Amino acid sequence: MAPLYYSITTEEQNVSLTILSKSAFQEFVARLLPHYRVVGPVPHDIGYSFEEIQDVTELRMEYPTTILPPKKWFLPPKETLFKFTRKNGGVIQDPPETPPTVILGVHTCDLHAIQLLDTVFSSGQYDVHYMGRRKKTLIISIECLSPCDEHSFCKDMGTLTADEGYDLHLTDLGDSYAIDVGTQAGADLLQNYSSSSVATKEEIQKLNAVINAKWPKFSYRLDFDVSELSSIMELSMKSPLWEELGNRCLACASCTNVCPTCFCFDVKDEVELDLVTGQRVRNWDSCQLDDFATVAGGHNFRASRALRQRHRFMRKGKYILDAHKHLGCVGCGRCARACLVNITPVSTFNELYRQQETGSH
Amino acid sequence: MSSNGKPKIAFFDFTSCEGCQLTVIDSLQDHPELLNVVEIVQFREAMTEKGEDYQIAFVEGSCSRASDEPRLKKIRQQAAIVVALGACAHLGGVNALKALHPLDEVRKYVYGDKADWYETYDARPISAVIDVDYAIPGCPIDRNEFISVVKALLLGKKPPIPDYPLCVECKLKGNVCLYTKGQVCLGPVTRAGCGAICPSFGASCEACRGFITNPNDNSMREVLIEAGLTVEDITSIYTMFTTYQVREKIQQKG
Repeated sequence: MAPLYYSITTEEQNVSLTILSKSAFQEFVARLLPHYRVVGPVPHDIGYSFEEIQDVTELRMEYPTTILPPKKWFLPPKETLFKFTRKNGGVIQDPPETPPTVILGVHTCDLHAIQLLDTVFSSGQYDVHYMGRRKKTLIISIECLSPCDEHSFCKDMGTLTADEGYDLHLTDLGDSYAIDVGTQAGADLLQNYSSSSVATKEEIQKLNAVINAKWPKFSYRLDFDVSELSSIMELSMKSPLWEELGNRCLACASCTNVCPTCFCFDVKDEVELDLVTGQRVRNWDSCQLDDFATVAGGHNFRASRALRQRHRFMRKGKYILDAHKHLGCVGCGRCARACLVNITPVSTFNELYRQQETGSH
Repeated sequence: MSSNGKPKIAFFDFTSCEGCQLTVIDSLQDHPELLNVVEIVQFREAMTEKGEDYQIAFVEGSCSRASDEPRLKKIRQQAAIVVALGACAHLGGVNALKALHPLDEVRKYVYGDKADWYETYDARPISAVIDVDYAIPGCPIDRNEFISVVKALLLGKKPPIPDYPLCVECKLKGNVCLYTKGQVCLGPVTRAGCGAICPSFGASCEACRGFITNPNDNSMREVLIEAGLTVEDITSIYTMFTTYQVREKIQQKG
């Protein structure tokens, strides 16, 4: 957990804490634009989306949440892994390099999700495509000071703040941002492109007041402590809830497609009309789709929607934690917002907990 | 196969607006190199020549009268591969809506006092008459999908027609869900592949590409009822392009 309070007595301990007025922040972003691809939350239809900006006025640093998480800038919905030709023994051409990128306004739930993805894509089979983008990207996150809506449950999942995973982390103090420096790259960015100042005693007091005021605004929505989640899931394999969810689920995959921690993909070859050259592409896939678990020979080992929903929640509550030491759900609430039949992690986890407490399965 | 080694392909039309064939012509403008790999021997919409020697037949339109049947069977006899081109051939399409009304009334409504001049019966997908190898869904077809199907056939592969809901493509585009904006949409039960073109421009999906193999119809109906639709509204939206399929489902259920 991040420090809930910043010490105001020993300023040496707070050398990483600096202050940037809102207008200086605008100048900072404007100075980044010629040197970096700058991505941040911008209005999109009646929602918000992480998009590349050309002008600082497009940015909306105070936004509830986005439809798709910032993940798409590291793992695009569709990407070319490489181009090939079937002649000359199959020449493979690498994809173009990612430009240096700064992603602004990342909420801490999404920050935790990116940390999980970093672990997933850098361990085992090192994913040069994901990691290539990730290493070229600086993240400037922002502390959430009030709940985005009724679907988020970040406080339960321990993602309402973050003490790592960012290069710079902003907290809105009204007319300025308090900036916590997370990495040397973040410190360099601040030094090279901004005119920030070290936080004064008053500013640290103000920051503490802001942080102090924020926590009570977020409520706990899980009926149990998140440390129990993994064992609750382990005992829920035979719960009757899965059949119930399977009956309701549309298998539309919206839950996984908006999820910041989902990372399943499919790889396909696309050939040009000359039938000689082509490209290998990677698309987001979803465990909720009918044929996701269909293997050669045609057998589908998760043919029912009930089994697929169970698999999804097992991933979120247990399997990912077991494999990668990060919870597979960050409580952002996007899947709950996207689900047309109101299948939500909070209601699912709470119902499984209730069934175990009452011994109803 | 023609002497130049290119597979010969032909286009045919039945009851349809010919919009799918226009889309093919459109895709030829984007991809003229298609003509480097196939030889088109018959395409009434686009050329005068009329060859009867072809390996792949693309058929647009539904079968809506008895005299369509021998023509379809002749195409099936000649072609190694028959591809239904667009919603009318694939599903029966909007033509199948007439099955919801007495045939005599429909004939009089359309042809007035000349109703007796024209033969007609309930419109069906061509698969109701002949075996169909593949279908390119949509009203009209998607031009990129047409090209990708041709490429797959030339490589001897199964055409990559998705069998998952439209919501997938809509979400990946980052669209705001139409239900969030108070509209309704058949995306959760409709076959993807069009790039969610209608919802991307704010219009509801009406399932012109047909349903996925395993739609959750009960849940879809609940969602539509919750969105304020009456049973009549739901019947109307569910039968726009898929009357034939809905009737088949009802018959299967007895």
